[in-house]
Amino acid sequence: MLSHAPGDTLGHRLDPRTKLAAQAAIAAVALARSTPAWLLALTLVCLVALRGCGLSVRAVYAEYRGVLPFLLVAPLVGALRFGPPWIEPAGVRDPLLAVYRTVLLLALAAAYVRTTSPRESRAAIARLVPGRAGRFLGLGVALVFRFLPLLRADLRRLREGSWVRLGDERRVDRRVVHLAVGALERAFRRADALALALRARCLSWNPTPPALSFARRDYAVLCLTGALIAAAVAW
Amino acid sequence: MSTDTGSVALVGDEVVENVVRAALFAALTGVFSYVSFQLPVSPVPYTLQVLGIFLAGVFLGPRWGAASLALYVVAGAVGAPVYAYGASGIGQLFSPWGGYLWSYPFAAGLLGYVAHGTDERTPTGEIALWRLAAGLTAATVVIYAFGTVGYAYFGDLALFADPVRALVSAALVTAVPFVPGEILKAVVAVLAARSERLRGA
Amino acid sequence: MIDVSGVVHRYGEATALDRVDLVVEDGEFVVLAGANGSGKTTLVRHWNGLLEPDSGTVRVNGTRVSADRVAARTAVGMVFQEPRDSFVAATVGADVAFGPENLGLPRDEIDDRVGDALDAVNLAGREDERIETLSGGERERVAIAGALAMRPDHLVLDEPFTGLDAPARESVLERLCALHAAGTSVVVVTHDLRDVLAPADRLVVLSGGAVVVNDAPDAAVERLAGVPVDRPC
Repeated sequence: MLSHAPGDTLGHRLDPRTKLAAQAAIAAVALARSTPAWLLALTLVCLVALRGCGLSVRAVYAEYRGVLPFLLVAPLVGALRFGPPWIEPAGVRDPLLAVYRTVLLLALAAAYVRTTSPRESRAAIARLVPGRAGRFLGLGVALVFRFLPLLRADLRRLREGSWVRLGDERRVDRRVVHLAVGALERAFRRADALALALRARCLSWNPTPPALSFARRDYAVLCLTGALIAAAVAW
Repeated sequence: MSTDTGSVALVGDEVVENVVRAALFAALTGVFSYVSFQLPVSPVPYTLQVLGIFLAGVFLGPRWGAASLALYVVAGAVGAPVYAYGASGIGQLFSPWGGYLWSYPFAAGLLGYVAHGTDERTPTGEIALWRLAAGLTAATVVIYAFGTVGYAYFGDLALFADPVRALVSAALVTAVPFVPGEILKAVVAVLAARSERLRGA
Repeated sequence: MIDVSGVVHRYGEATALDRVDLVVEDGEFVVLAGANGSGKTTLVRHWNGLLEPDSGTVRVNGTRVSADRVAARTAVGMVFQEPRDSFVAATVGADVAFGPENLGLPRDEIDDRVGDALDAVNLAGREDERIETLSGGERERVAIAGALAMRPDHLVLDEPFTGLDAPARESVLERLCALHAAGTSVVVVTHDLRDVLAPADRLVVLSGGAVVVNDAPDAAVERLAGVPVDRPC
């Protein structure tokens, strides 16, 4: 799976808020202007972005190869008609463009994930979302990252344990109940221990804000993003 | 020590507990997203992802269940590998299956509301069976409604020009093959809610 | 100073603490011993307001804990049993910074505190390491640093040696002695008296929710007959 990798590319050095804003803007433009000409233009933007993040097209393809079949069902469904002639080839066009658009957005997301550490993301959220909601989301996202490996290990142990003890003869629903109840039990225990620790360490609504600052390159990227939106509105 | 303690707004004890549980159910949903299993009645591989949503609604109630799945969506958007099969990134929210992701906070909130009502959270073991069943059904409907509309919209199946055709054909791909798996997961959620081992939770 | 006076705590029908009186002075090294279920953990969780007494009062530095929890939680740093589940962040530096961040301190002061706290537990310069990759003894020391970053007067450790091998145990104990020498009051909660009595100023033993022994270690050990704790070897 694609995950954060430390590095020193332009993508790594950009502020996470800049990267989120650029992604959102490109997604909006792609959704609103799904014509071949616009998608071609956005393809160039994405290639530049991937380049700036040190990611190859090949790496992105390897990442999303698994979802392509699911994506390609859409054009087939688009051609389907409930009545003669049953198949309408012209219906393939729009879904196909939508698939292409999705691939572009997934590539951008890969670039973000590769270049942005969980800590930066959390800081960006805490800065972008005001007040207590921002605190909740920032802290919550940090805790999700923190607990994923622990819960994954819990589940793996539970699965192995149940295979050994119960073998394959068990019905699938029983196995899933066993897994879910065991996972929940451990999760609650972990939650209680962590809640206690957070209270002891003065968890507050108004902590020191995380350190983030825009540099000149961020303003440059934000200007280009603005220009893209302006162009999409104008044409 | 000389720290000025007056300006620190502590998070209330009960809220701390709920925040942590919300994060844990978000992470649990993420872990369930790459546990997959197969049923003989349908060719698609099921993940346990939706079970995470069911459990969050049942065990956390409406507010914190919805908050938990909102965390899940945001964490996945910024790169936590929590979406189906360990995927992540904002792009997923605008993909043909993005509708599912948008639905999760609403589904967990609705399930929590039907199971617990808006006031005090009912102890999980004491929720009436009909409430659980109704809540799970409602949550499933929300998930597949969002999922189907999302597929028709983000997949550009001419949703506005010919809505009936677009939605029916999308449902063939997004909902119909998955229903048997959802029934199994709903049963598991009910059994977990009734489990003696989780009585204290 | 921690001043516990007439504290009663019940869990439902069961009485966990039965009119406990206890004072811990600044700079003292106290070992709080007792069998499982004797009320040790329940007692220390009153010192920073994690639990509220059913009757009686708890004061830290003269102020009631319930009146100013932030003050109590900064003055009494607590390290929990099996710290694996109580870390907030994935990396050492981010976790140690968590407490001071909650106090809203300026960023440069937080950095200073994190540096000092890691220095004090012999983990200087290891801010960027992932906690998951550390050994048990190192993890325990990161948890101690997290408490120290609040600059507490008292450091309370609940069963800090559980699951640690002899060298790790040694490394943690050695750091606690150094902290004590530098003026921090250290309270070790344990059911196992091996090694910890040598540096202690005082041994307090709880049994059935009441203080049964409270004396200098040498004198206290004499009176341990019949009290269910692991005797020092």
